[in-house]
Amino acid sequence: MEFISSVITFTLISIISVIGVYILTGLTGMFSLGQASFMAIGAYVSGALVVKTGMPFWMAVIIAIIISVMIGFIVGFPTVRLRRDYISLVTLGFGEAITSLLNQTQSITGGALGFSGIPKRTTLLLALISAIVCIIFASYFKTSKYGRQCIAVKSDELAAKAMGINISRIKMTAFLISVAVTSYSGALYAFYTTYVDPSIFGWKKSAEWAIMVFFGGVNSLTGSIFGTVILTALPEVLRFAAAYRVVFYSILVLLIINFKPSGLFGEYELPVGKIIKLFKGGRKEEKGNAA
Amino acid sequence: MLLDVKGISKSFGGVKAIQNFSLTAEKGDIIGIIGPNGAGKTSAFNVISGVYTADEGTILLDGKNITKMEQYQITREGISRTFQNIRLFKGLTVLQNVMCAFDPLSKYSILGGLLPTPKRISEERKGRKMCEHYLEVVGLLPYKDERPENMAYGLQRRLEIARAIACEPKVLLLDEPAAGLNPTEVKDLTELIERLSKDFGFAILLIEHRLELVMGVSQKIYVLNFGKTIAVGTPDEVRENPEVIKAYLGEEEKKC
Repeated sequence: MEFISSVITFTLISIISVIGVYILTGLTGMFSLGQASFMAIGAYVSGALVVKTGMPFWMAVIIAIIISVMIGFIVGFPTVRLRRDYISLVTLGFGEAITSLLNQTQSITGGALGFSGIPKRTTLLLALISAIVCIIFASYFKTSKYGRQCIAVKSDELAAKAMGINISRIKMTAFLISVAVTSYSGALYAFYTTYVDPSIFGWKKSAEWAIMVFFGGVNSLTGSIFGTVILTALPEVLRFAAAYRVVFYSILVLLIINFKPSGLFGEYELPVGKIIKLFKGGRKEEKGNAA
Repeated sequence: MLLDVKGISKSFGGVKAIQNFSLTAEKGDIIGIIGPNGAGKTSAFNVISGVYTADEGTILLDGKNITKMEQYQITREGISRTFQNIRLFKGLTVLQNVMCAFDPLSKYSILGGLLPTPKRISEERKGRKMCEHYLEVVGLLPYKDERPENMAYGLQRRLEIARAIACEPKVLLLDEPAAGLNPTEVKDLTELIERLSKDFGFAILLIEHRLELVMGVSQKIYVLNFGKTIAVGTPDEVRENPEVIKAYLGEEEKKC
């Protein structure tokens, strides 16, 4: 039971990180190979604030998100003006710089040995509520003017500019929202494992998230979430196959990318509005029948 | 003077794409720009709409200097355009494509981007209503929930026009709107352009190879060749101009 609950919690935390990547890569078409470093900033800053200053959990989390967004602004400011591919390069460099910084500043972060002694505050319930709130935010974001402009920028920058869209600004907005969401997932992670070390926040983590988004469907929030669930749970389910599970994982990803390049879900979104209506409609009918 | 383009030039390396091009337009004008391939017509549009910044010359819109502004600012000042090769947003429906023109001006904050605040709901409703109106103007309202890539070519051209007029321009630039259309569609398009000019009163600049269209609707025509303006005048004047005939048909060989 303990094991299952921890798998579910980790999956929920991954979902939150991937929502950040979905907004950045899925909606806006920018690749960040340093996205995991914002998870690291969220984790280390909130952890250190609670451990070293005794600050309350929520206050530490909010400060960690604000600091991440500020750093994101500094990283994003020169890059959003450039061509989209440069964002991957700049964020890759930034991400690796953050991990080595965490390794070097031993007195504060514990270096490569990791930072331990963080109290356990994240529960399954907190992770679940957080994931649901993030999903709601992201789906409203997608259908808002911001979401539309993001998709327009991804599809055709020149035409987007011709519509009067300030593309640097919209890219920055998407980047900062994704940074905020990802750093929040970092804080949840730190307060769940109670221990963090720099090695888990490298570019491989960022690439893994991008794979999850593409696997599920780069144009679909529903797909990105399912992709995360499948690809996070799969290695756990395949535990019996030991060394071969990486092979299974890779083959599955290759098959999907090869035979369904738009991902498992393509552009399909779960019609939440219709489902709610269906329930309401059903209830009305019942009332009608009773009368 | 609504639009006053004064002596703009633009070079790419050694190629002078457009040299010393001047043009004036008043409200309600329809102005044709014609010329052989590579004459610099689209380059002129790109400079006016801010895709490129002019090397020399100035562009005044309603007396305001917009020469050095960024492309998106020029659109907001009141110059919008369509593209020669259709550039619609894939991944958005027909209505959402038009909404993109309204979105930069939509007045709700990032909080409304994440939650359905009352401000967001009212702004979205307002935007949708306006954009549906523009779709109706070009006759695309029945297709509003379609994906543009699934529509016929002629309808995609119309959607580009709907998107451009949704920017509420003072000057509308149409870059070969009739390219790839069949004769019936060209006739419909001619009617649409005349109707837009009458109903909205903006100035229209029209690049077109189909002479029957451009000669039919324009009050004034500019003829370009190798980046230079070789003739300006009414359709009839231009048709008789020896320079123009030379550019289009080549020079008659002198008999020995």
